[in-house]
Amino acid sequence: MDFSFQDAISKILHSTGFVAIEPGQGVMILIALILLYLAIWKKFEPLLLLPIGFGCLLANLPLSMLANTDDGGLFNFFYSGIKHEILPPLIFLGVGALTDFGPLLANPATLCLGAAAQIGVYTTLIGAVALGFSMQEASAIGIIGGADGPTSIFLAAKLAPHLLAPIAVAAYSYMSLVPLIQPPIMRFLTTEKERAVKMEQLKPISQTVKIIFPIASTVIVVLMLPPIAPLLGMLMLGNLFRESGVTARLHDTSQTHLINVVTILLALAVGSSMTADTFLTLNTIKIIVLGLLAFCMATAGGILFGKLMYILSKGKINPLIGSAGVSAVPMAARVSQKVGQETDKSNFLLMHAMGPNVAGVIGSAVAAGVFLSLFGSGDASTGHAAIETLQTITTSLGQ
Amino acid sequence: MPSLIEPIQVSILAMAVIFLVLGILIVVIKTLVHFLPYTAPPPPPARASAPAAASGSSQNEDHIAAIHAALAHHLGKSPQDIHISNITSL
Repeated sequence: MDFSFQDAISKILHSTGFVAIEPGQGVMILIALILLYLAIWKKFEPLLLLPIGFGCLLANLPLSMLANTDDGGLFNFFYSGIKHEILPPLIFLGVGALTDFGPLLANPATLCLGAAAQIGVYTTLIGAVALGFSMQEASAIGIIGGADGPTSIFLAAKLAPHLLAPIAVAAYSYMSLVPLIQPPIMRFLTTEKERAVKMEQLKPISQTVKIIFPIASTVIVVLMLPPIAPLLGMLMLGNLFRESGVTARLHDTSQTHLINVVTILLALAVGSSMTADTFLTLNTIKIIVLGLLAFCMATAGGILFGKLMYILSKGKINPLIGSAGVSAVPMAARVSQKVGQETDKSNFLLMHAMGPNVAGVIGSAVAAGVFLSLFGSGDASTGHAAIETLQTITTSLGQ
Repeated sequence: MPSLIEPIQVSILAMAVIFLVLGILIVVIKTLVHFLPYTAPPPPPARASAPAAASGSSQNEDHIAAIHAALAHHLGKSPQDIHISNITSL
């Protein structure tokens, strides 16, 4: 074999990414750097935006083979975790292990606030259809109003996988902006008298109720909305680990190591789906605008229902806790506490706001379940990811 | 502009389903709480055998309880972790 120094240099130069880079990739690298800046220096949801930004960076470096669509690439395997509904439910397992349902059980009426805040999902659905999206796409966009990242990813992967990247980025970006988005709406919709309401101390709940609730709610909700079983089932299992008192190791793993590992895989998979052809479109801008509308409407819905409960309870419920119905645990509850203390420093709303906050998680999962029942694959035997995976494995083994 | 009738119908239906599901959960929770009310754990057996406490003076007992709680707080421990074994009056 003849070896020419010049040919070798030329070959090496042509194998670098510099010659293969396209303008779209350059823009996406810039967007990745912005996400990294927001995560590191502005502290916007750094646990998620940092790996999403870095995943986006890697996916858009030419010849890296790290886009989610690059068969055999590392992130293609990570993305399978989203495609086959593995990673979002595992995040929910960790969320369940971290969450105390006590405030919700002590004041179950706050579940209504979690339901009312879902109004943001549906106003956005209508807005998305008005902007030309299909019902499936609009449903996946609307769920951003649930302020629940894993649910948004779960639904987008099932109903509109081509919109997964902008939906996930919008959901997590706005979740990090909850302390900026919510307070002006909360102040605008409530009077000073309403904001000053001090709520009664929550009653303690027996441990047996805390153990039975995740089991009973799983049975009831999954029987009513079977498609939501992976999300809700894992949420309640995580909570059962916490409350049963007999699985300390599983509880500890779920709320720390497991959720951290899964967060890395999920965020990198989302980042790897942010390629120029899927992200640099007019639809992305529309989704970013609709996402903001979703958060604003969800906050307003929760607050307005809180005002209704204030009237019905003859002034015993502070409407500010309604904004926590948007999920985004526990940041939304902290915002209720902060805005409440602006009026009265001795007012502690945090634990009261945790009730609607947890209800928001269940509410957004139920909202996703309704969308899946209406627009998901109707045939459970062919549409279920686990069945698809099994069929793929069987086919591979047969070859 | 696309017809908005379908998304409006879906929204109304979906909100109704959400309120129905969460309403059922409210009933379940209220039933559970009604039939399984919270009962405070039994107080730990009294280990204090101090003459002052045993004397029946409620004022002394209050003082001991206050000192006990303050000491536990200062040491960063639960009051149950600190057992008073002897009290001597000066």
